[in-house]
Amino acid sequence: MATQTPATEVLDLTVRKAPRRHWLEVLHDWVTTVDHKKIGLMYIGYSLIFLVVAGVEALLMRIQLAVPNNHFVSPQVFNGLFTMHGTTMVFFVGMPILFGFGNYLIPLMIGARDMAFPRLNAFSFWISAFGGLLLYFSYLGGSGLYGAGSAPDVGWFAYAPLTARVFSPGHSTDYWTLALLLSGIGTIGTALNIVATTICMRCPGMKMSRLPLLVWLYLVTSGLTFVAVGPLTAAQIMLMLDRYVGSHFFDTQAGGSAVLWMHFFWIFGHPEVYILVLPAFAFANEIIPVFSRKAIFGYPAMVAASVGIGFISLSVWAHHMFTVGLGPGANTFFTLATMIISVPTGIKIFNWLATLWGGKIHFTAAMMFAIGFLFQFLIAGLTGIMLSVAPFDWQLGNSYFVVAHFHYVLVGAILFMIFSAFYYWYPKITGRMLSERLGKWHFWLFLIGFHLTFDLMHVPGLLGMPRRIYTYEADRGWMIWNMLVSSGAAIQAVATLLFVFNMVWSYFKGAVAGADPWDAWTLEWSTTSPPPSYNFAKIPSVGSRRPLWDLKHPEDPDSDYEMEQSVPRKRSEESK
Amino acid sequence: MHGDHSQQKNELQLPSPTAWPMVLALGIALVLTGMVTDGIVSILGGILAVAGMVGWFWQVLPHEAHEAVEVSTEEVRIVSSRTLAARLPIGPMHRKIIPVETFRIVTGIKGGIAGGIAMAVPAVIFSVLKYHSIWYAMNLLAAGGFISWAGASNAFLSEFHLRGLLAALVIHGLTSLLVGLLYGAMLPMFPKYPILTAGFMVPLLFTGILRSALGIVSPILNQRIDWFWFVISQIAFGLVCGFVVNLQAKVRTPQFQALPFSVRAGLHSDLDERKHGELTDSDDKDTPR
Amino acid sequence: MSTTAVIPNSPNERWELPSRGVVGMACLIVAEAAIFVIFVVAYVFYIGKSLNGPTPKDVLTLPIFTTICLLSSSLTVHAAVSALRQGKRNLCSLWLAATVLLGGIFLAGTAHEWYDLIYHDGLTIKTNLFGTTFYSLVGLHASHVLVGLIMLALALWFSLRGEMGREHSEKLEVLSLYWHFVDAVWVIVFTVVYVLGR
Repeated sequence: MATQTPATEVLDLTVRKAPRRHWLEVLHDWVTTVDHKKIGLMYIGYSLIFLVVAGVEALLMRIQLAVPNNHFVSPQVFNGLFTMHGTTMVFFVGMPILFGFGNYLIPLMIGARDMAFPRLNAFSFWISAFGGLLLYFSYLGGSGLYGAGSAPDVGWFAYAPLTARVFSPGHSTDYWTLALLLSGIGTIGTALNIVATTICMRCPGMKMSRLPLLVWLYLVTSGLTFVAVGPLTAAQIMLMLDRYVGSHFFDTQAGGSAVLWMHFFWIFGHPEVYILVLPAFAFANEIIPVFSRKAIFGYPAMVAASVGIGFISLSVWAHHMFTVGLGPGANTFFTLATMIISVPTGIKIFNWLATLWGGKIHFTAAMMFAIGFLFQFLIAGLTGIMLSVAPFDWQLGNSYFVVAHFHYVLVGAILFMIFSAFYYWYPKITGRMLSERLGKWHFWLFLIGFHLTFDLMHVPGLLGMPRRIYTYEADRGWMIWNMLVSSGAAIQAVATLLFVFNMVWSYFKGAVAGADPWDAWTLEWSTTSPPPSYNFAKIPSVGSRRPLWDLKHPEDPDSDYEMEQSVPRKRSEESK
Repeated sequence: MHGDHSQQKNELQLPSPTAWPMVLALGIALVLTGMVTDGIVSILGGILAVAGMVGWFWQVLPHEAHEAVEVSTEEVRIVSSRTLAARLPIGPMHRKIIPVETFRIVTGIKGGIAGGIAMAVPAVIFSVLKYHSIWYAMNLLAAGGFISWAGASNAFLSEFHLRGLLAALVIHGLTSLLVGLLYGAMLPMFPKYPILTAGFMVPLLFTGILRSALGIVSPILNQRIDWFWFVISQIAFGLVCGFVVNLQAKVRTPQFQALPFSVRAGLHSDLDERKHGELTDSDDKDTPR
Repeated sequence: MSTTAVIPNSPNERWELPSRGVVGMACLIVAEAAIFVIFVVAYVFYIGKSLNGPTPKDVLTLPIFTTICLLSSSLTVHAAVSALRQGKRNLCSLWLAATVLLGGIFLAGTAHEWYDLIYHDGLTIKTNLFGTTFYSLVGLHASHVLVGLIMLALALWFSLRGEMGREHSEKLEVLSLYWHFVDAVWVIVFTVVYVLGR
């Protein structure tokens, strides 16, 4: 028989009937907090606000593009819209929300009481937040607002030489540079915290081979962050020097190279999108097993594939530069490298499928979003492989085909998994369940809107519609597609509003969740919902990858089957 | 606020809340903001930043500032909410054991190398018979890497070129290895009539795919390849590679062919003896009956 | 934190984890190294591509003395950490003072070199690609040296006041790691700028 695994039997009962506090006190509490849970929630809340803002920017663009020769916004404003939409979504929605979830969950999942550097955690959040505010201050600064001036309008990637002082007078580009410098500092701080926490603060018994896969993936994401954000910071410093001190980094008149900016930016930019997608994989690794009632298939392969994806993603950046004229050798290398990254990614997809296979699948809202993620990520990856073939990219680069591809990943994979994570962890964070009925409405509406928009968006791309144009002629044959794409955007907006309503309503009226509403297996479900400020009254100790399974099924714990030696312990007993 | 009915009263030390990190963040942000607004903002930011650094420093050194947080606890057992599920009795093999080892990769590598050597023979024979040179087929393969060679003269392709040898070795070696690995993995999945499948069907399939793809990618090269001899060399590869793989995996025995697909494909271990019928009785839905 | 937790199935195993400060500083070093790599790449990319103006060969001389000072400061800071670990506070102060002095000499030397370059050779960041990449790379390194020096001076201050004890030796070690990183970067910058680039 298995031995009783101790620990995690202690639940906190500090009575929560606190007297109503003055709102200044609450504000002070949140401003001075160094608690990873509060900081995580601030990251998430802040990114949801920016999600709405950037979503509105997208809707404005779609209204402008719904019919040809439209005059809803001027070309200058349109340039500002796509720049701000991209910059906001990547840096002030995607990164914060994913690091927010990581902040909240990682200490809970490894049995720690907080992150390794709590004050650095707070600093990282605040500096990112101020970065976002600086970016949006650009609408007001200079000749902003009705002068419609200062928001950056050079594209989220700010190519040289458009960003040179002579072509972008005024401060709009500087707002872009400075805001991202600030958020870059915050990102590195959080990544540093995640690595230090994961390596140095695990509870007893939690070897690296027993880490929840979410934590592993955040570890890889953070490692990637260190190597990727540095090049962006360096390139931005160079840009500022060019603009203000008269240096010549990207100044072709003095022999400099504008393509060098592209290299530096994409050396950041490609790993950046993996920084965005790996946390989505992290959520999938936790959610799919629980709702299939099966442990994740192939844990070691998942770890190896994730690390592999991290490494390979550093070598593919120039697939954003196929049309620049790098030469056949470089084009071939980057085509092959991009194709190879599909191998570890495919391993992960097969392992998720193998987890589902033979399991008892529960179609909760979280699981539905996760299954949507699985199929949509596959399709997004396939269009990515299509684009990785350099001659194909020559035809379709910078067209709406590329826009459709990356939105398929960003919305269809990442946002779907973010929704799934909300439905899964909202009970833990707030102590209440989200309404499943509203969740299903949200899912189906969003699915229809998403596919209407982004499936069809491939077609204008194939028909030749370029990116970043503010309008188009009526005789191109693009109108019907653009109109349908725009209507899909409206449906997604409605679905998102439903989701926001669900979150607010359930906070007050949702069913009480209890510590473990999903019958899950990782440590965060062993403490109350919401957890107390110190997470665990007694630090747990674990003997396997699913510590709560061991506690719930002491007659059949995972720890009997962990591969400490080459043969599981249980069977070696039998063979005696 | 303090539970009187708790069994243990404890206090824990947590890092005390502090606003200094935010002040430093604001200071740095204002320093940068002043660069696009007014310089006075930068100066204000600088002051805040220094204040923030000093304040934060004193929070951490000489020792970290802590505050005590009250904890009151009660012992609770962690149980599954699924109390109505009929769990199967625990037997020695009740879990699906993922195989620790599956078919050895070396099998595929050996098969690939052997097949690669074998298929060179028909290729060389073809070169000698048609172009009186042993290097022709090799150079034609290298034309996959050096695109301009597809249009080169027969005389050029009949000569020895070091670059051609190297390119052909790389292309041939990699492809043989990869296809050999594929054979090593897939031959156990389809063990019936292995000579037919591995020796003939797969080579013909591979040739067909290559010919149609090459027709689009490089029609010039397509026309220069003698597809009859190509098929011969592919079949040589398939037969030899399949033979070598079979030496290790022994797929032609009736015992192997009787194993279920999931075991032959390496997905499940062959040590699992649970019968499939036992699964249908359990209902994990936890609904009251 | 409970110290009585027992690892299931391995009750005799000791649970030891690496130090947070060291891991955190290692991460910071990786991130900073990425920034430096890009500046070095820019420097190397633009070697020989200046359209005009002074070339490295014309104006650069090997800064041997300052390099020796900086590299030996790594040794002195290491000695300071060892001394503090053994509880020898005064010896630690001495080594820290030596480190600050050597680092200060390096910075002064760099400032002197730059003064000569700007006012005697007419090389500024605006002059040509060499000027751009030289000043930005060396300047980035010098700014990191400056930050390190400030931290070391702070440590020296507290050590002289007797407030730094054996219990702080790990924090001093973390600082010394940063200083070693700064020195390692200088080795690379020196090689690329003063050896290869000329």
